[in-house]
Amino acid sequence: MTIPPFLIGSDTGGTFTDTVIVAGDGSTYVGKALTTHGALMDGVLASIGVACAAMGLPRDQVLRDARLLAHGTTVGLNALLTGSGAKVGLLTTAGFEATLPMARSNKIHGLAEEEITDALKWRKPDLLVPRRRIIGVPERIDSAGAVVVPLDEDAARAAVRRLTDLGVEAIAISLLWSVLNPAHERRLAELVAEEAPGLPVTLSSHIAPRIGEYERTATAVLNAYIAPLVSEYLGNVERALADEGFKGRFLIMTMGGGVQLARTVAGAPIHLLQSGPVGGISAARHLGASLGHDRIIATDVGGTSFDVGLVVDGELPRAQKPRIDRHGLAVPFVDIASIGTGGGSIAHVDPAIGALRVGPESAGSMPGPACYGRGGTRPTVTDAAVVLGHVDRLGGAVTLDREAARRAVATVADQLGMPVEQAAQGIVDVACAQMADLVRRATVQRGHDPRRFMLYAYGGAAPQYVGRYAADLGVAGVVIPRLGPALSAWGAVCSDLTVLAERDLPPRAFALPLGDSEAVLGELEAQARSEFDGLVGTLVVERRVGLRFARQIHRIEVAIPSGRLDEAAIADAEAEFRARYERIVGRGASGSAKAVELVSVGAEARIAVPHTAAPKGQIGGRAEPTGSRDAWFEGGWQKVPTYDLPSLCSGVGVSGPAFLESPQTTLVVHPGMRADLNETGDVVMSPEPENVVIPLRAENGR
Amino acid sequence: MSVGAIELEIIRHRLETINADAGETLVRVSGSQIASEAGDYNTALMTADGSVVACSKSVVVQSTSLNLVVADILAHYADNPGINEGDQFLTNDPYVGALHQPDVTLVAPIFADGKLIAWSGCTVHEADVGGPVGGGFNQAARSIFDEPLPIAPIKLVEGGRVRADIERDILARSRTPELNALDMLGQIAANNAAATRLLELVERYGADCLSGAMAQLLDGTEAAFRRRLAALPDGRWRDIAFLQHEKREGDDYVPNAIYAVRLTMTKRGDRLELDFSDSDDQAPGAVNSAYPALANFVMAALLVHLCQGMPWVPGAIWRAIDLKSRPGTIIHAEWPAGVAMSTGTSAQAIRNVTTGCIARLLDGSEELAPLAMASSQSTGAGGMSISGLDAQGRPFHTLFLDELTGGSGAAGSRDGADVAGTATSPGAMPSNVETNEAAFPVLYLVRGELADSAGPGRHRGGSGAIWSYRPHGTASAIALNSMAQGLQHPSTLGILGGEPGSASGIAVAESAGAGWDHLVDGRNAPLPLPDVNLAVSARHVMIASSQGGGGLGDPIERDPAAVLDDVEEGLVTVAGALRDYGVVIADGALDEAATRQVRIDRRRERLGAEPLPRDRKRAGQRLSSHFDVADGEIVCAGCGTGICASGGPILASLRSREADVGDRFPLTSLYPGSERFRIRYFYCPGCGTQVDVQVGLAGAPPLETTEALHG
Repeated sequence: MTIPPFLIGSDTGGTFTDTVIVAGDGSTYVGKALTTHGALMDGVLASIGVACAAMGLPRDQVLRDARLLAHGTTVGLNALLTGSGAKVGLLTTAGFEATLPMARSNKIHGLAEEEITDALKWRKPDLLVPRRRIIGVPERIDSAGAVVVPLDEDAARAAVRRLTDLGVEAIAISLLWSVLNPAHERRLAELVAEEAPGLPVTLSSHIAPRIGEYERTATAVLNAYIAPLVSEYLGNVERALADEGFKGRFLIMTMGGGVQLARTVAGAPIHLLQSGPVGGISAARHLGASLGHDRIIATDVGGTSFDVGLVVDGELPRAQKPRIDRHGLAVPFVDIASIGTGGGSIAHVDPAIGALRVGPESAGSMPGPACYGRGGTRPTVTDAAVVLGHVDRLGGAVTLDREAARRAVATVADQLGMPVEQAAQGIVDVACAQMADLVRRATVQRGHDPRRFMLYAYGGAAPQYVGRYAADLGVAGVVIPRLGPALSAWGAVCSDLTVLAERDLPPRAFALPLGDSEAVLGELEAQARSEFDGLVGTLVVERRVGLRFARQIHRIEVAIPSGRLDEAAIADAEAEFRARYERIVGRGASGSAKAVELVSVGAEARIAVPHTAAPKGQIGGRAEPTGSRDAWFEGGWQKVPTYDLPSLCSGVGVSGPAFLESPQTTLVVHPGMRADLNETGDVVMSPEPENVVIPLRAENGR
Repeated sequence: MSVGAIELEIIRHRLETINADAGETLVRVSGSQIASEAGDYNTALMTADGSVVACSKSVVVQSTSLNLVVADILAHYADNPGINEGDQFLTNDPYVGALHQPDVTLVAPIFADGKLIAWSGCTVHEADVGGPVGGGFNQAARSIFDEPLPIAPIKLVEGGRVRADIERDILARSRTPELNALDMLGQIAANNAAATRLLELVERYGADCLSGAMAQLLDGTEAAFRRRLAALPDGRWRDIAFLQHEKREGDDYVPNAIYAVRLTMTKRGDRLELDFSDSDDQAPGAVNSAYPALANFVMAALLVHLCQGMPWVPGAIWRAIDLKSRPGTIIHAEWPAGVAMSTGTSAQAIRNVTTGCIARLLDGSEELAPLAMASSQSTGAGGMSISGLDAQGRPFHTLFLDELTGGSGAAGSRDGADVAGTATSPGAMPSNVETNEAAFPVLYLVRGELADSAGPGRHRGGSGAIWSYRPHGTASAIALNSMAQGLQHPSTLGILGGEPGSASGIAVAESAGAGWDHLVDGRNAPLPLPDVNLAVSARHVMIASSQGGGGLGDPIERDPAAVLDDVEEGLVTVAGALRDYGVVIADGALDEAATRQVRIDRRRERLGAEPLPRDRKRAGQRLSSHFDVADGEIVCAGCGTGICASGGPILASLRSREADVGDRFPLTSLYPGSERFRIRYFYCPGCGTQVDVQVGLAGAPPLETTEALHG
């Protein structure tokens, strides 16, 4: 039933823009349209239109009756990756003009594994602001926040004029120790307003109040760099929506893990970089909460990358040293591990050691895998899946050239002296082993045991490969969400409205009296609350402290009660810190003698978006194959039944080998595995109990 | 057992993952600043006999020859105290396998079904491991007994349990026991993680398959390395690097004596010989390398400069090289010579000469010449440990690692990266200024790129950096234990006519000023060399600069537009553009006509005659990018001028110019002892192209760097 109010989630990805509309009864409608590079808004509106068509309603009617539209977008990331951001000028402390270009000497971090072992590929991160537009201003504040050198206002004005002469379109300001004392940064902003009225300004103390000048500066510059494009884009979308009668809240998915009002994000656009991948993990958390899973490995297989995020005890862990496009950042960022292995990764025989390798080269979308029939001749992972008969549709208008796939895989098979099918299986196995290794890194490296996690697989290609890459991990179970191909869009719509205000403090003992830190907490809480003025909903505010052991680098954020802290609250927070430290580092590691330091304070304000649970699907019935095709499993060809995934009812199970197909994707159920549809239509994959007689296949397969 | 191409790749990738995971575990558990923020650590996986099959990429030199540690344990401890499941052995003994005493290594045997199948190992640089001087760098050491006394391999973990007595003994030596304890926890956790993951791999594929895959990784990489060698022309290359330290003469100790590290590298067919035997005798203390440091730095340089695009499997490379050295020399010291400062002194010289010879080897092949890379930043005088008292009067000891800001060497295909640190520590990073100021009583005045520090060349080296700080929030002076190298002459040499990067610099001065100019201009008094008493009081500032990377090719052949860009970016001054590149920039614009004229005049000056046109097509056999061998004669590849008979002395047959060593970087001339060195520029006598630039002793003949071997 398409009853209002509607909640609309829309996510722009590299290839497709997806929309999920949740109707008042909890039912969902999906729309997919090609991403329109250069005019992203067109793709967004088109995909909303497709979803509306699925509901049988005109777009303007749905928009009129929509309570909110939550959007994940690549507009900021595109600006960064294509170098099309604003012409930024940077004002910084005199003597430290090179902080950004020096980038803490980073020459390999953020490079692919293959580049790290090739010194000719070592390079610094791309410089977003050339040195000629970085000007030092005489001033200095020390590590206690005291002014050592007062701000030279004449020099500052001259610097601003110099930057405007150079034609800058935005200014970033990042001064040493502005975290502790933002007075000079704020005064500089006033001077910019006087000398160059209307020029957008980003203050590092505002956007990233974190100790560590390189990451803070990079954050401020990156923010200034994408700000004009992002605010123009958000303004355009908002106007276009209004033109169609949309009166709801326009929200943006942030990489910190919640949604924020578009007007808030327009002022701090850095937060929407990577919003798509974070949307997927948020959706996994939301779905997990309804399925009773609070530890989830969220995996997304795309054409050119494999992303892994975690849900731990219902939370999305934040990255310790976040980087985007190799720039170190100092803003909250849901931890996502990524490698360039996807359907388009090209296989080749390593000339050095004769191993069959996959990637890092990718066929991209042009010419794409050989099976696209666009002239690609080198074998990709997708080609291997085609050769094995695991895939016989590519979605959209692409027709499949099986012979081209076979010819491409044969080039590798010949080199290895093995049959084409075996080489194809090898390509899939190697790619899946790389994915499994990334999952291991994302869990084990961060102190988690994958066996205590459910693995969620989504994104267009994940259902094809999850049976392989999840097999050796020993995870507790595998879920392929019903909305998997559009999960990021759904994630946007089911994330809480969240605002986080944080600030670093000079390290101090975590004991009463806490001095100015309580006052700072109060300020931050007021700041976080103010974002929600006038909004309906239950506002939850949580105060946090960042704690660490003296002389260590890594901090852990712990919730504390509001109001004045007493001895008991301090003791509780410290106990929580020690417990979580031991969970990450190992039992017995938090010897009670170690002193705990307070290094940051923060406040998070949150309003949950009300949700009606999805209606239960029709239960029962049998899974009837719609057909069958020849496919290669476990070293031989066999006839494998195919099922139409959208028409399968909740509660049915299918034993492998089998293919569950939908217009967007093919779920490969390997021999020995079974796939069961749960009440909400998600597929749960598990090993076939050995004592169960496998039904269906023999009678229906032919 | 033979492993297929698919399993081999899966296992190879997993080994890399396991090793990287071990490193991340180390960092996560330790949380100490040196390991976590600066990345001064490394991890490795080894076969049962200790051959390294996977090494992480942070500070590569720390783990490429952990095989020596394992070999020592296997040789000495099989029966007593025994090598058993759950054991882990700690050592920081530079005569066994560590680079120098602050690098603490922990290795663990891994057993499957009671059989030793592999080893894991990791190394972390500690802030202090005891001894007479905080931080462990004692310039005044006259033997290892004046340094932190090394710990030979000792069983710290026995059957999975930390030996409390041994842990206490180790920590009792240090001035920073709580930091060392954190790192020790991290290292134990790293080895445990590696063992757990490796055994999962064994469970999945079987121990034989794992051993087979490791063997194939070794064999395959060895074969690939040999193929690369075979594709290169046979020949012999030489390089030299200098150190300064006190020398013992009879019963006397002579300060600021010169030590030379000399390498003769010979490539025949698919083997490479590196012969360091002609290096000078060892010093009494501090600056020597024992054999493990020699092996590590040679291997790391080979991986970085000759193994591009191959798996980094040091155990495989060892099989194809012969490393020769003479015990009792500065790069192969004999007990009880002091070695605590090896990594910033003689080991850098080892890396530099190895880099120089490899670059010339690669340049002999037209196909592989783009891989040739000049020398990157050496640890110079700005590499130091610092000690003092904080505001509360508590002692502190640390490393700031600001020195990791030197430039990369230029390559055959590109400029060197600016402020990128040393080539053999790819992942190491200096901390933020704010991180240092938050933890220690200092106030930085400057930290930035140093103009004109990059080694000029057709491709220039990367720029180095300058930084200064003063005590802040403490009344006490801060002691600076400097590596004290690279001050009296440039150490990051260019290749193929590229010029050296700026030399190192360190001074305690009244004020920071801007760059070094205020110290150089009009100054006649020499700057003191840093010694064991160097300190900075609250009334003074410490200034230091790291080296620029070496350039490649003749600087007057550099694209003038690239020079203009460097000027606009502040990396080259307008004066530097003219002096180093022959590029005229007036009012911010490139004067192309004047530049052409200056460059022609420059060739004329070099020759004292009209230069020949460089319009010859290459003929005969390529010797290098500058020379061919045709009809038994070595000729210039550009103008065809005959230089000498094949096999003859090339450099001695060229036009040359000798200059004061401060020619490249004026500060250098202020350090006592710099007058003993010269920079020599070598030009083709026909076209005036600069084909080599050497730093050598005054009065010494040029070093003939390249010799073709035929037949």
